[in-house]
Amino acid sequence: MSVFEYVWAGVLAVFLGPEAFNIFGFGIPITVLMIISGFLIGIFVGATPGLSGPFLMAVSLPILISVFGFTPDALLPVFGFLVGVMKGSTVGGAVPAILFNTPGTPDALMTTLDGYPMTKSGQAGKALRVAHFASASGDTFSDIVLFTCAPFLAIAVESYLGFTEKAALIILSLSFVAAVVGASPLKGLISGAFGIFFASIGTGEDNYSRLSFGTDFLANGIPLISAVLGVLILGEVFVSFEEMWHERRDANAPPEVPQSTDNSLSFAERRKLLPYIGVSAFLGTCIGALPGIGSTLAATLGYATGQKMHKGKIPFGKGAPEGVAATEAANSSVSGANLIPVLSLGIPGNVGAVFLILAADSIGGFNPGPSVFRFTTEEVNPELIIAFGLFASMAFANLLNWTIGAHFMRMVGIMTKVPKPVLMPFVLLLTLTAIYVQETTFDAVYFMLFFGVIGYLMRKLAIPALPFVIAFILAKTLETTIRQAFAVSDADPFFLFKSPLSVVFLALSIFVIVFFSRGKNND
Amino acid sequence: MFYRFIKTGIVIATLAASITVTNATEWSPSGPIKLMIAFRAGGGVDTQARLIAGDLQERHGWKIIPENLAGKGGAIMARTLKAEPADGLTIGMTVTEAITYSSIASRNAGYSVDDFTMLTTTTGSQMGLFAKTSRGWKTLPDLIAAIKGGQKITLGAMSPRLADGAYILARENGIDFTTVMVKGGKGALNGVLADDLDVGWGAGPQNKSVLAGDLVNLVSGESKPLKVSPDAPLLADFGVPYIMGAKFMFVAPAGLPEDARKVLTDAIIEVVSDPNTKVNAMINKAFSGVETISGSDLDKFMATLSAQDQALLDASSE
Repeated sequence: MSVFEYVWAGVLAVFLGPEAFNIFGFGIPITVLMIISGFLIGIFVGATPGLSGPFLMAVSLPILISVFGFTPDALLPVFGFLVGVMKGSTVGGAVPAILFNTPGTPDALMTTLDGYPMTKSGQAGKALRVAHFASASGDTFSDIVLFTCAPFLAIAVESYLGFTEKAALIILSLSFVAAVVGASPLKGLISGAFGIFFASIGTGEDNYSRLSFGTDFLANGIPLISAVLGVLILGEVFVSFEEMWHERRDANAPPEVPQSTDNSLSFAERRKLLPYIGVSAFLGTCIGALPGIGSTLAATLGYATGQKMHKGKIPFGKGAPEGVAATEAANSSVSGANLIPVLSLGIPGNVGAVFLILAADSIGGFNPGPSVFRFTTEEVNPELIIAFGLFASMAFANLLNWTIGAHFMRMVGIMTKVPKPVLMPFVLLLTLTAIYVQETTFDAVYFMLFFGVIGYLMRKLAIPALPFVIAFILAKTLETTIRQAFAVSDADPFFLFKSPLSVVFLALSIFVIVFFSRGKNND
Repeated sequence: MFYRFIKTGIVIATLAASITVTNATEWSPSGPIKLMIAFRAGGGVDTQARLIAGDLQERHGWKIIPENLAGKGGAIMARTLKAEPADGLTIGMTVTEAITYSSIASRNAGYSVDDFTMLTTTTGSQMGLFAKTSRGWKTLPDLIAAIKGGQKITLGAMSPRLADGAYILARENGIDFTTVMVKGGKGALNGVLADDLDVGWGAGPQNKSVLAGDLVNLVSGESKPLKVSPDAPLLADFGVPYIMGAKFMFVAPAGLPEDARKVLTDAIIEVVSDPNTKVNAMINKAFSGVETISGSDLDKFMATLSAQDQALLDASSE
């Protein structure tokens, strides 16, 4: 098959895949249906303070897998839903930020700075349109970069990296995540080390289960999904329970402001926003491609850069549409670029990407990494078709964003009014159900409660959870690759320092930690 | 005329089938059957197990619940299955190697061949030592010559048993391999394709690329030549009297009553051998085709394999 045929096969796999149902003789493909529902639910969840896209992905993943099963046919519908959620929740996050000054997601924090002043001056509708336009443009830009870069990068990786270099590269990604996320690189490292420690239970080369104390409970290791959901979701739920305990939610709703009738966004206005969107989208994409630094930093940087560029009448922070555009373009352009390290190296860098890896890992038949982008001409490479199917899903979700996204954005403002004491127990129940549905054993639930407590303690001690999760996921690959690198070197104790490239990676790992420690101590 | 023959044939076949079914209904499961799968979802064992489970449900009305108990090269499933009651309501699908070699090789495996009632094998692997065609080696002697000429060769093996086999192959032929442990059936394939490894053991996944001409099987690890590479010599020709391949098989806990064993075995064989089932098509395409060894033949076969694996272990620890 030629490159074009692969792309086309991927597109067809999405749009002519198995049908969900028929409307007037037109079959609705299941993948398309999943993208649409993921996108719409994502907008609602993004708009709900206390919930986020990753949360929805975490809870829906086990349920999706139990519905679609473990065949490669399940990959695209499940990926489609996750992609829809990823894009929908980013758009949705801007809504409460603009309308009520309460950001739905942390990335939308900067959106409140100009979005809410616009609402107060009667321009809520315009602010929403600006946010949507910037968000959809940033998203498109990021997707294009992903489509063009990921295959190219993957092929480069495959030809230049051996076992040793791959091991060093994983170490580099882990130290990068540890250094960048959270308040101090040292806490990040502690979190990552914990992740590797827990992942080493019950795994390893030997037939005897490591660190299991001879018990059957630990013999099979800790289910990945229990650890990830426990630390990421349950930890957060426990913290909000505590917050609710301490403070009764003040019910002061922001006063309604009379809104201007002319809230359209003219072509000229859009053109004026374009430079801000372009710069932010570029920044967001670069940041998204690096592991560990998510959309929140992208939004902050995008806003700050926009502020420097800005010379208009209304200054940033007083209701400048450019401020909203700069923020939204930056945080939306992260999601596509996030997948570059996932698809080319198999290394997740951000929470959203973690769930795509988890999905691929649980379903099987798709192993993110260089082997995906093998353009075999004689034999069909099914993974490559899935990869292009994933790209097609992202493009379709982006199209949804351009077409119906704006209408839905205006509807979801109401989600801010859902009180936390109603929401959080619901989240807890849903998470526990989800884990039981996938693992069908109570051990998995006990493990998750344990990791929920760990997640809670980590938040109390300001230790970031993301390095833990990423280290937990990468630990197995890291161990295997290190063992392989060691074997290939004929048992040379200095095997990691024999290749110039791996020395560079290792030096960089130390450099990142030192660099970020210094920067943060000076603050 | 011709059609009448076929019709008669079909009638006779149906009658024969119904007779065997009537005879076989002496024992029937008193509840749902739990089918433990020793490897992860999506692999060769898992795919076969789920296809067979579907056909068994359809033909006999049994309720079968497949469950993956992957890990430690099949040892996790073996340990769990061993502890289940031998009432025919819990069976497992695994590979011969996980029952024989794994239980002997590890210090405290927690199970042995005697802990199981063997039901039947379904098919066998197509184990070959493969390399990229572009390296220019046609069969094993070319590789041996290259190593003797001073090339350092890395070899990917997915199980300790295959690593042992490679060690003996090297020792008997006066060469050295640098053996690298890889994960799963695709580990060696990816390693060789990405030029991280020079050669690798493959149980069958390599054969698509062999047919496409990208890879070549240098030697067969089976007792017979490989289907896709009939010209590749056998390991036995190079001083390795051990079979590196494995068979896929169904097992139950030890002490399963004879009537239950027979009913379950016959039912599985019937599904696997029927050319109209998906599992039949799958094992013909990906593995060695239908190979059903059952009953006392299988007991003998497993005893031979155990003795062979013990000899392999002894030979590689000399």
